[in-house]
Amino acid sequence: MATAQHPSTPSVRTGVQPLRAGQGTSFLWRKLHSLLGIIPIGAFLIEHLLSNYEALKGPAAYGAQVRFLNSLPLVRVLEWVFIFLPILYHGLYGLYIWMRGKSNLVYYPWAGNWMYTAQRYTGLIAILYIGQHVLRQRFMGISLPENPGAAFAKVQHELANPWMLAVYIIAMIAICWHFAYGIWLFAAKWGITPGAAARKRFGYVCAALGFALAVMGLVSIWAFVGPKYKNTPDIVPLAAVAVTASPVLSAPPAAVISAAV
Amino acid sequence: MANKTIALEIKRQSSPDAPAVWEKFELPWRPGMNVISAMMEIAANPVTADGQPTTPITYDSNCLEEICGSCAMRINGKARMACSALIDNLEQPIRIEPLSKFPLVRDLQVDRSVLFENLKRVKAWVPIDGTYDLGSGPRIFPQVQEVNYPLSNCISCTCCMEVCPQFNEDTGFVGAATIAQVKLFNNNPTGKVFKEERLRALAGDGGVQECGYAQNCVEACPKQIPLTNAISDVSRDVLIQKAKDFLRG
Amino acid sequence: MAAPRIIVVGGGLAGLAAVIKIAEAGGSADLFSIVPVKRSHSVCAQGGINAAKNLKGEGDTTWQHFDDTIYGGDFLANQTPVKAMCEAAPGIIDLLDRMGVPFNRTPEGLLDFRRFGGTLYHRTAFAGATTGQQLLYALDEQVRRYESEGKVRKFEGWEFLSAVLDSKGVARGITALNLRSMELQSFPADAIILATGGIGAIFGKSTNSVVCTGSAQSAVFQQGVWYANGEFIQVHPTSIPGEDKLRLMSESARGEGGRVWVPRTSGDKRPPRQIPESDRWYFLEEWYPKYGNLVPRDVATRAIHKVVYEHQLGIDGQPMVYLDLTHIDRATLDHKLGGILEIYEKFVGVDPHQEPMKIFPGMHYTMGGLWVDFNQMTNVPGIFAAGECEYQYHGANRLGANSLVSCIFGGFQSGPNAISYAKSLAAAEGDGGHAAELARQAEINSKLLNNQGTENPFKLWRELGDTMTKHVTVIRYNKGLQQADEKIVELLDRYRNVNLSDRSQWANTSFAFARQLKNMLELSRCVVQGALLRDESRGAHYKPDFPDRNDEKFLKTTKASFTGDVAGPRLELEDVDTQYIKPRPRRYDASK
Repeated sequence: MATAQHPSTPSVRTGVQPLRAGQGTSFLWRKLHSLLGIIPIGAFLIEHLLSNYEALKGPAAYGAQVRFLNSLPLVRVLEWVFIFLPILYHGLYGLYIWMRGKSNLVYYPWAGNWMYTAQRYTGLIAILYIGQHVLRQRFMGISLPENPGAAFAKVQHELANPWMLAVYIIAMIAICWHFAYGIWLFAAKWGITPGAAARKRFGYVCAALGFALAVMGLVSIWAFVGPKYKNTPDIVPLAAVAVTASPVLSAPPAAVISAAV
Repeated sequence: MANKTIALEIKRQSSPDAPAVWEKFELPWRPGMNVISAMMEIAANPVTADGQPTTPITYDSNCLEEICGSCAMRINGKARMACSALIDNLEQPIRIEPLSKFPLVRDLQVDRSVLFENLKRVKAWVPIDGTYDLGSGPRIFPQVQEVNYPLSNCISCTCCMEVCPQFNEDTGFVGAATIAQVKLFNNNPTGKVFKEERLRALAGDGGVQECGYAQNCVEACPKQIPLTNAISDVSRDVLIQKAKDFLRG
Repeated sequence: MAAPRIIVVGGGLAGLAAVIKIAEAGGSADLFSIVPVKRSHSVCAQGGINAAKNLKGEGDTTWQHFDDTIYGGDFLANQTPVKAMCEAAPGIIDLLDRMGVPFNRTPEGLLDFRRFGGTLYHRTAFAGATTGQQLLYALDEQVRRYESEGKVRKFEGWEFLSAVLDSKGVARGITALNLRSMELQSFPADAIILATGGIGAIFGKSTNSVVCTGSAQSAVFQQGVWYANGEFIQVHPTSIPGEDKLRLMSESARGEGGRVWVPRTSGDKRPPRQIPESDRWYFLEEWYPKYGNLVPRDVATRAIHKVVYEHQLGIDGQPMVYLDLTHIDRATLDHKLGGILEIYEKFVGVDPHQEPMKIFPGMHYTMGGLWVDFNQMTNVPGIFAAGECEYQYHGANRLGANSLVSCIFGGFQSGPNAISYAKSLAAAEGDGGHAAELARQAEINSKLLNNQGTENPFKLWRELGDTMTKHVTVIRYNKGLQQADEKIVELLDRYRNVNLSDRSQWANTSFAFARQLKNMLELSRCVVQGALLRDESRGAHYKPDFPDRNDEKFLKTTKASFTGDVAGPRLELEDVDTQYIKPRPRRYDASK
């Protein structure tokens, strides 16, 4: 074989590398991320929003719910294993996923691409929000596991700041959106809805769920900032609650997000 | 209308190391023109809009019928086949750039060999015993053929990869085209023999899990291949395969 | 002895088929292709592939297929290889089926067959409207498998420049140009197989792909390989006129019931769907009641020409007629013709479900090609040829859906034949001529790069295309052919004055094109002079001044050999093998 002499030529860079067939562990980590978003994080989100909804029944009922949750066996273990650690992982790995994606919404402003991008921004909002929320409501100020009766007022004081209120409202919407679209993504990517028609139908289901959760959440926020339970004492006695709870509950919408555990 | 012209702006780069420059062209309009015929016109008369002599544009093309998959490029920002990009349907000046996710060779020509390498890694073929006469193939009902045929229409243009936010050097994502081929070959009565291997391959780094389901692939595919359906199906199969492997130890 | 090393040039169906057989036989194959092989022109074939499987209870036989092919080719094809091809065809279909080609199916899960031009049988297996694509991919996948096993090396993005011949005129390898680095290199081999397709580019616009320049055939022709039956060029009756090329509208559109018509009165301005049946002229159905719209391509092409140019009935006075599918329901159309209708809609912007398509004949297929013997070897030892680039299977006219089978069959023959040739090949003396050939090519390159002329190669090419299309397609007159030959001589002369607007040494497409252009010019003389010599009408070759077939004088293969002389190639006539079927008049307006 012979080659004619040739001046040095430019070289083409290597681009995206081919599939590392069967190698590495990213499949496991990515699927774990995806699963944790549904269980336990999603499940916890629903529980949390339902608990918040108790605020509609007033400070005492809300405090009772907090007390109930804190009475679960091994609650501190549950709290770490099923809530804090999964959220931490889901959040950090989610950021890692985001960092490695290259958004191109400018050129391809298609619905799915919007959702893809929105899922990342809502995720970011969720992480930032949850970080401060857990710190301020769970680990700072009066300890709610020890004083469940203080739950309502603690949240109420927080939301008295209009900036914080805005943060809570935005985060509530973002998190519900993120969760609803997350369920849809989960179904699509785990092959539960492999057909376009199924994905479309399930899209409506997820949208309805997300909307319902967001409304519930916003309504709960109203319970804290609305006129009905203005100036709730820092600690409400909970013993009485069990008996009086339901008559107290009448009309006003209201309620929260927050430290339910 | 006799003197109607069209305006093009083309991103030129004489080699991978050379700086990119935009050149403007003004060409006489003719009915039925597409981006390829415009570039043929430039080759026959390589002069820019301001009268500077230049070189003919380097780009890949072959069939000009949107079936060989050669001429994918970004036209007004969007990845698509140049042969089917009719000038009359495009906003002017028409801006033409190479695909952005693949190593540049020159001008509009890029190196898309990664797709072919990926097809090797998932064993995208039917392992027949030999080409000697072994009688009829397996029976396949029309219902199965109708699922497989669209997948088999993939022209390897790589548009689905170009538009995918997850397909990049950080993820090394394999892209929708290869995933769809895995579904195709796993569906074949003989191709099935490698099903487990293909699924395990796709669980590797850069595998199906990297999909972010932005669904750009299915929007951009010039052949309307149901790529997202394939991703869903294959993802599920990969997951089940991994679970089985785990449980079997 | 080491495994024979065979170089295959061209990665379409024929090339891939050859590579598969070589790898399977334990040889090692180096596959050269200008484009990634999956993008080869075979991908464009739409309609289907013929084989007398007789799955429709019609009593079809391989003999019948053989007879249709010979008859359709106006008895010009040598009968021995055609017979072998038709006999092998059913096995080839089975093989393709086993490779996973998604052929259309009957409800019972068997292969479905459709009718195609030039036969009365349902003999054409098909995969939607993209059969060529599906076949090419199936072979491409098998080659990829061998490649991953290390039995095949691919050189994609390399253009074949010439064969390397030793002092005895035996092929010892090739020289090729890397289209990216522009590096010139020679590669040794015990035998080479050219599978380089058609020569559409010689006609400027055709239904062929950009790479179908015939440059490789021409290069070896200039090195001494005979070029046979160059004058036989198939003009497809239904192509879609376009700015950059002519796009094929598959014969399957007629196979599925498409009807060709024009308004009965010239200048009828009504939209087609408002023209009542009584005002439409279905001229093919009227002239050829037996075959109707499914007459062979040459017959349909001339009929359309006649209607447009003699009867002056082209739509709006333009050279176009209607191909109408609007009477067929949408579901059937989408199911059976989806792909090709999409092409029309995409490139013309009109929905063929709603409105009849406007079509006109366009250069489509090269029946002629490199001369080969029954073992697929050319007259130069060690150079084989298979597929559209050789002349062997279609005679004076190719039947629809026979090209895919001839490509695969030819490839399957050439691979093993090249191996057995290579096994008995004596070692080369010295370097087998590599250094000398490389030096010759390097000189051509440097001359071209440094040429200080004024002619733009792309403009010369357009002139060539216009001339060839005008004088050497559907209807040929000796005077026009003479003019065409003179024009080519003029272009060859002007080519010496060619100027490259790009002299760089990196992915320089105009440089590669300029080299191809020289070869196109040389090869086009074989086409023109072959046509000049053949004073008769046979198959696709039609001279109004000689309207009849003349078996006595011209039942012969035209063989052109390169002289390097300004007079052009030397032509000889060679007898045709007609041992099985006695030539009879070819008529589609009556029983054969």
